[in-house]
Amino acid sequence: MKKLLYTCAMLLAFATGSTLYGQYTVSGTVTDSEGTPLIGVSILVKGSAMGASSDLDGTFSLDLTDAATLEFSYVGFATQDVQVSSDNSSIQVVMLEDVNKLDEVVITGLASSIKRSNLANSVASIGSQELAGITTQSTMDGALYGKLKGAEIRSNSGAPGGGMSVKLRGVTSIFGDQQPLYIVDGIFVDNSTISLGTNIVSAAAGGGNTSTNQDDASNRISDLVTEDIENIEVLKGASAAAIYGSRAAGGVVIITTKRGKSGEPRVQFNQTIGTTSAIKLLGQRVSTVDEVRTIFGEDAAATAATNGVNDYEAELYDNTGFLTTSQLSYSGGNDQTTFYVSGLYKDEEGIVENTGYKKASVRANIDHKFNDWFDISFSSNYITSTADRGFFNNGNTNTTVGYALAFTLPWENLYADANGNFPAGGAGSNVLETVNKITNRENVNRFLNSVRANIRLFSNDNNNLRLALTAGRDEYTLQTVGLFPQELSFYRDPSSLGGVSINGNTINEVYNLNAFLIHSFYTENDLTFRTQLGVTTESFDQNTVITTATDLNGAQTNIDQAANVGVFQNRREQRDKGFFVQEEVNYQDKIIGTIGLRGDKSSNNGDADKLYYYPKASVAINLHNFMAFNGLLNTTKLRVAYGESGRFANFNDRFNALNGTLIGNSAGLVTSTIRGNSEVGPERQKELELGFDITFLDNRAILEFTHYRKSVTDVLLRAQVPTSTGFTTQVVNGAELANRGFEISLGLSPVQGKVQWDTQLNWWKNTSEVTRLDVPAFNLGGFAASLGQYRIEEGKSATQIVGTVKADDAAELDPDGDGFAVYGNAEADFNLGWVNSIKFGDFDLGFVVHWKKGGDGVNLSTLLWDLAGMTWDYDDTTLDPSGTLGNGDFRTSEWFAGNAGPWIEDASYIRLREVGLYYTIKREKLSNACDLRVGVSGRNLINIFDYNSYDPEVSNFGGNVLANSIEVTPFPSSKRLNFHLTATF
Amino acid sequence: MKKFFINYKYLVILGLFVGITSCENEAIPNPNGPTLESLVDGATQADLLLLATGVESVMRNDLGFYYNTTSIVGREYYDLNGTDPRYTGELLGAGAGEGFLDNNGFLTTRTFAAGYRAIRNAYVLEEAVSNTVASLTAEETNGYNGFTKLVRAYELLKLANKQFNNGIRIDTRDPDNPGGFVDYNDALGQISSLLDDAIGDFNSGGATLAFDLSSGFDGFSTPAGLAQFAQALKARVEMYRGNTGACLTALGNSFFDLNGDLDMGVYHAFGTGGNDTRNPVFFVPSQDLYMAHPSFVTDAEAGDMRLNKVDELASPVSIDDLTGTHQVQIYSSDVDGIAMVRNEELILLYAEANIGTNNAEAVAALNVIRNAAGLGDYAGATDDASLVDEMLHQRRYSLFGEGHRWVDMRRYGRLGELPLDRAGDQVFDQFPTPVSEGN
Repeated sequence: MKKLLYTCAMLLAFATGSTLYGQYTVSGTVTDSEGTPLIGVSILVKGSAMGASSDLDGTFSLDLTDAATLEFSYVGFATQDVQVSSDNSSIQVVMLEDVNKLDEVVITGLASSIKRSNLANSVASIGSQELAGITTQSTMDGALYGKLKGAEIRSNSGAPGGGMSVKLRGVTSIFGDQQPLYIVDGIFVDNSTISLGTNIVSAAAGGGNTSTNQDDASNRISDLVTEDIENIEVLKGASAAAIYGSRAAGGVVIITTKRGKSGEPRVQFNQTIGTTSAIKLLGQRVSTVDEVRTIFGEDAAATAATNGVNDYEAELYDNTGFLTTSQLSYSGGNDQTTFYVSGLYKDEEGIVENTGYKKASVRANIDHKFNDWFDISFSSNYITSTADRGFFNNGNTNTTVGYALAFTLPWENLYADANGNFPAGGAGSNVLETVNKITNRENVNRFLNSVRANIRLFSNDNNNLRLALTAGRDEYTLQTVGLFPQELSFYRDPSSLGGVSINGNTINEVYNLNAFLIHSFYTENDLTFRTQLGVTTESFDQNTVITTATDLNGAQTNIDQAANVGVFQNRREQRDKGFFVQEEVNYQDKIIGTIGLRGDKSSNNGDADKLYYYPKASVAINLHNFMAFNGLLNTTKLRVAYGESGRFANFNDRFNALNGTLIGNSAGLVTSTIRGNSEVGPERQKELELGFDITFLDNRAILEFTHYRKSVTDVLLRAQVPTSTGFTTQVVNGAELANRGFEISLGLSPVQGKVQWDTQLNWWKNTSEVTRLDVPAFNLGGFAASLGQYRIEEGKSATQIVGTVKADDAAELDPDGDGFAVYGNAEADFNLGWVNSIKFGDFDLGFVVHWKKGGDGVNLSTLLWDLAGMTWDYDDTTLDPSGTLGNGDFRTSEWFAGNAGPWIEDASYIRLREVGLYYTIKREKLSNACDLRVGVSGRNLINIFDYNSYDPEVSNFGGNVLANSIEVTPFPSSKRLNFHLTATF
Repeated sequence: MKKFFINYKYLVILGLFVGITSCENEAIPNPNGPTLESLVDGATQADLLLLATGVESVMRNDLGFYYNTTSIVGREYYDLNGTDPRYTGELLGAGAGEGFLDNNGFLTTRTFAAGYRAIRNAYVLEEAVSNTVASLTAEETNGYNGFTKLVRAYELLKLANKQFNNGIRIDTRDPDNPGGFVDYNDALGQISSLLDDAIGDFNSGGATLAFDLSSGFDGFSTPAGLAQFAQALKARVEMYRGNTGACLTALGNSFFDLNGDLDMGVYHAFGTGGNDTRNPVFFVPSQDLYMAHPSFVTDAEAGDMRLNKVDELASPVSIDDLTGTHQVQIYSSDVDGIAMVRNEELILLYAEANIGTNNAEAVAALNVIRNAAGLGDYAGATDDASLVDEMLHQRRYSLFGEGHRWVDMRRYGRLGELPLDRAGDQVFDQFPTPVSEGN
């Protein structure tokens, strides 16, 4: 006897086979609790590879030989087992909503998924409702705040168009990029932050550099459209992400976009309009002529009497920006083909004049089933965006807006005359003129495409073999335009740069090809083996050319017209190849064990052809499937997982670079002082995760507890080498980091019935430590020890913030005598996220509260305001223990005495991250025209913090994890208020 | 019963997988600039020119630290800028220092690293020449090799002078296995042999070099000219070793000229262009407070024109109980060349080498120097000891601030005669081996 039976989840059931002895047909209907038929419910005969799925009417039928147990599963609903036999062959199945998401399918591998209840890791999963259902988001990463336990998400500034860093489970590298790997529908998506090239104007990183990490560029993951996302899975550490090998040290964020479902086509139109405004303004030290006279004397007061005491901060930042987002999506399909197409247009003004963000996106996701054994999925997305980011952060020429504002005297007149001419005024630059005249723009054109194919090579009753192929491509061009015209007052002087025009072009091409064989084998006694074998190859190319023109010809901005033109180019190329094998054994959903191994090669390693191996192993035990717990506990799962992952060496680490030199008129080449390391290898992360998940109170409560310990070995460092070699440093694998942490979440449905309240508390904490350091302790990040820096020191936290110390305090604050006192730590004591969803009748209320306790920031904005003598709290006397000096004088006098501490502040906050209230009008009330949903929502409406600047959460140094608690006069953060209308036809 | 089924498809797919996994991942060359690897393995003619220019250029790196540290320890001048307390403390042995030189401080490490970096570049050029794809003649190859050996010898000599008996590594060709440390005398012997090798290369180097040298080598940018430069250095080394005969022989083969321009010689050239380097020991008048040791002025004979190497400031400068009245003004601009070796030193070496064998010739040579400085002929005793005193005095003034005083006093065992200005000050006889050498 040979019976071939192909299963295919989500599609129509069909069954073939010859009628043999004892055979009978089971048939029935699957509905939800309201009696609506459910289409595409997966029905599996337990202990075999046989199955079916429900059709458009929710019906199904299956030919069986013996009594069997059918397992019904469907996204969003609790899985159900139903006994059938020839006597009980016509059944009605009512699926119940899956409150605890235990049956949710979690994508953990490159080509495989697993039921959450069988998962051995704590994998955070965020669905579209949670992601974008409460309020509209500007960027995808911004939508994750407070919802992801174990993640530290930080916005670099309030500039429109994004710019965020995501750090999962602590510090995992010192010099390496710590951002997670993003995979969207199988595409390895680039998340570079590319310099805007404005350093020539700001000189933030000193003169002469084109590129700097201080110019507040956005990161490219912000291009993704939140509204198209169906689900996000976050693999936070090596134990879950080992299968991604050398790319996974920062964790992996797997994004699945929305796809069509067979059935009636669905058209949905979303319109959001809203406003944005600063969450906080600082205010100024003086606001009246009398105050000016008292503090700054008669001359200043006389000027103030003429010009008035102006509030230029309010002039710049106290504005309301208009926001609009429109999206139209169309989805549907039949048994063979489903589609989801959507178009989105977003136009968001910033709170600063001439700043804003515009994005347009078109997506088409198509799934087609050619036959029983071959199906294919296409995902394609085109995005174009323009971000006008303003000109902020650090500078050394007094031209960045925030910096110059700190030094601007309120009694100066900076306003344009009737002809629009701005006076030179201000400190080095006129801030009103700068925001009015300059352009600092990022323009992205991006294509994301993937093709995934599933080929069922073979299947019988207890075996099936599938080949899954994925090809992904991410291609974008980023154009940056920096225009600082000659008419700017600071470029009028002939000895100045005379106007600057910056043209940056980046072409980024990333592709990945993956092939996997997945073999499933079912035994008679419910033992399931699943074997995976896969190979992957990834290619990464990035080419940035920044052309900088100075001495512009009058109003001309074409670089041809400039007297001086400089060019900077940076190219990165990387080719990786890898394979993995994994074996998963599931014994009756009681014990689920997995072992796997990944091998990786990268051209970034010293030896491009050397394979580095990353093993993993995990066990989940569902205790409740062994024994019944009397009433109290519904399910209990114990889990333990171990895995390793890596981080490739930096692109340049293996090269002995030669630098240009000049003597007389002859050019020459000399060796760099950094010795290339042809042996440089990847950093290796090892993570052990332990935890348990219990559900209780009739499945209305779920508690997840996770503890992890991870170590990172072979951390890349710049080590001193004997200088007699002719080099001074070399990149070596020479440090170890450790992170320990706890993640606890409690999900409750305290009220069910007419009012349904679901609430989830997420609490997490991470502690990092440098456990081994082969080189002497060193400072990094920030500007100088006197201004607060990170310090990498064996036995200490990797995120400690140190600084110089007053001679009087040295004995107390610097007991080890290294010249630095520890003033803080950028790492939070803990984070608490509280996510709520309340339904009552046709109303939905959702809100997210985020509390970050502890974690310090270096507030160099206030330093600058203090040095200018203009800080709003300059004359308060809350800081000086003797109560004599005003705060400004106290901070600066402490600093001049050698104390780097005055501006290192607690950056704790409590925020109402999101809140949204919606009302749904069912189509029955609208002559069946459409379902309507209207609502109002807000983001960051309530912000509570002591930190003495616009926002405790900013970074002058972009996403660099060991520098990003340092702020220098950033673009102020904003809050948003939105009105929503959704019509579903 | 269903049996586990092995299908041929498995084998096909398995074969495919094995094929893909075994396929090679190729290394990618640096797309942003040349690398050592790309040039030492098949350098072109143009690459060699760039590397040769690089070698000359990198010799100027951190040169200021060399001249300042040797001049300050040798009590020729002080750094009274007050920007770093180590110049008035640590380097003078006391004051705010703790009586020893920091083996991880920049006073020690910067020149050490800079010297060996120049040597590394010389090795790189040597390797590039040996593997070049350019069709060099044997003479051209000899010219390159002579130059790289000459540069290595010159840099090693500076390193040896500073490190003295703490020693230096002579052979650092393989950065993974650098040679061991040798003491001063051993180092000088090996430097002398290296110069002999260089001279041998130049002697069979034909009439012209295959590469260009800067204006600092004007008059010496041929194999014969570089051979003369090498001979001049050899004369210095042999004198240091006490080999007066060898010194005189080398002088005879060098550009030594008793009647010639005292400034004739080989120089580091400086410029102000983009990646060029400026003279690091040009001190902006009245601004960079490098102040001559007071004894430089008081010990001078009346009328010594070499006092024009210092300028009296409007008011004395005092820091850390050290006072200077005269600012060092050896160079008149930031593009003035710094001599590697020049005729004035060679004449003084000639005088020194003659002391004890031909004192009249020594006096004649010293008089050339004296007359050039506006002084009358030497009128003192002509016994050996007196002539050594006179020779050292003339060297002090002729070679002021050029890195000689400290070395000269050390080789004559006279460091104890250098002035100490504060209680506890001391004169170090050598710099420590940088701590990173132990890595």
